[in-house]
Amino acid sequence: MSGYKIRKGKDIVFIIGITILTFLGILPLFHIITTVFINGVPIIVKKGISFLTNTLSNGGIGPAITGTFILIFLSSLIGLPIALLVGIYAYEYPESKIGRATKTLLQIMLEFPTILVGVFVMSMIAIPMGTYSAIAGAFALAIILMPYVAVYTQEAMREIPFTYREASFGLGLSRVKVIFQILVPLSKRGILTGVLIGLAKVAGETAPLLFTVGGLYESYPASIMKPVGAIPLLIYTLVQSPSKTDHMMAWGASLILLLIFLLIFIPIRLKLKEVRL
Amino acid sequence: MKEYAIETKDLKIYYGKKEVIKGINLRIPKNTIFAIMGPSGCGKSTLLRSFNRLLELNKDAKIEGEVLIFGKNIYGEDVDPISIRREVGMVFQYPNPFPHLTVYDNIAIGLKLNNLVKSKEEMDKRVRWALEKASLWDEVKDRLYEYPASLSGGQKQRLVIARALALKPKILLMDEPTANIDPVGTKNIEKLLFELKKDYTIVLVTHEPAQAARTSDFVGFLYLGKLIEVGPTKYIFEKPKNELTEKYLTGSLV
Repeated sequence: MSGYKIRKGKDIVFIIGITILTFLGILPLFHIITTVFINGVPIIVKKGISFLTNTLSNGGIGPAITGTFILIFLSSLIGLPIALLVGIYAYEYPESKIGRATKTLLQIMLEFPTILVGVFVMSMIAIPMGTYSAIAGAFALAIILMPYVAVYTQEAMREIPFTYREASFGLGLSRVKVIFQILVPLSKRGILTGVLIGLAKVAGETAPLLFTVGGLYESYPASIMKPVGAIPLLIYTLVQSPSKTDHMMAWGASLILLLIFLLIFIPIRLKLKEVRL
Repeated sequence: MKEYAIETKDLKIYYGKKEVIKGINLRIPKNTIFAIMGPSGCGKSTLLRSFNRLLELNKDAKIEGEVLIFGKNIYGEDVDPISIRREVGMVFQYPNPFPHLTVYDNIAIGLKLNNLVKSKEEMDKRVRWALEKASLWDEVKDRLYEYPASLSGGQKQRLVIARALALKPKILLMDEPTANIDPVGTKNIEKLLFELKKDYTIVLVTHEPAQAARTSDFVGFLYLGKLIEVGPTKYIFEKPKNELTEKYLTGSLV
């Protein structure tokens, strides 16, 4: 056999090999999505719109959905501005002591066990307040959200070719204007990806909520200083129950969580395609 | 005493401890095209960036000596680099219009962020003026609100020139503006340089002696951080006094 044929043969084996491995890699993802749909759709069809609006004892998860949105909103409000500034700082002063420390700290925070964040916030906020609350949960989630957004911001800005930075300063702009009016908009694609991943993460987090939000499923939340529910936390509670009905409800809630996740993800993903460097 | 657009006095530039510009004395008269030519790595771009203090973006760079712009030392104590950069515009080697801004906004952004223009009408006028100055208006007047990605390399570079002109600088620094442009685009830009010379002083960095010969009134040959020879372009190309210059022009400089 000629060398060419052997090489070609190796090539084909290699391509088949990685195709199979890739397929095996993404199989669990599809499996999760299909299972959630197969088990979640029947209960939602059965209950109809009331599944989204009723309280738990009336066969709905309305308060949990509301709670999740409140938590996403509040944690973004707290976490995003800080994260953006931290990311910009790490980009702008990479060599300074604080800049380097920040980068290391962010890496650690990314991998930090989220349950510890929950414990921390419980001791700092929930215990002094004397109650679980939406605001405590939002703080915990903000701590988890922050490193994602900060790291993505820093990376996205670092990827801007130096020539655009030169061009901006060349127009006689101050550093603040160069950063906030040109470089940040220029890297908004990367920054929004970070925000997106952070929000998706926060929407699905359970551990940091265990000791902070309390849970509220029989009525709608009235104040951010009072306990709220959240879909992941509700799923956790329902699955632990021995009742079949509760398990059904958990599948329905899982499907709603998945849809919320996709709702955050897909539109921004599509919008992001507009700007190209 | 005659006032020059740019004058340097014993200008030395260091990157860390390494001296890259080794004591340069240079005078660039007003309304001329002054070419700085030399092989890559000789310090051309570094020298150019010291004329509008853009070199300071590089934290390792250290500057000694003086650079006078119309008689004023821009490295003096209370000089604001921002005002210098408005007065001394810059065009870069890689055509770099801001990709996330439309053609119109690319011109407008410097004016807008510097609060130099009050009304929308005035902005429209200034954008048109800058594009006309850069000989680009006819080609882009129907696509002012498109993104620069749809322009050719030469058009992008003229857009960048228009962006610089919009701030009404007195001097234009050009760092190998045609290095990434096709021959037709290059010809258009060189033609534009002659037009711009009437109102501006242009410092053109190039690694192509032929471009210096075609476009400039004066030329300086920079080699390993030293200014080897300066003079009217005609004389330098016909009768270089220095052996190194002659070697460079005949392509035998190793």
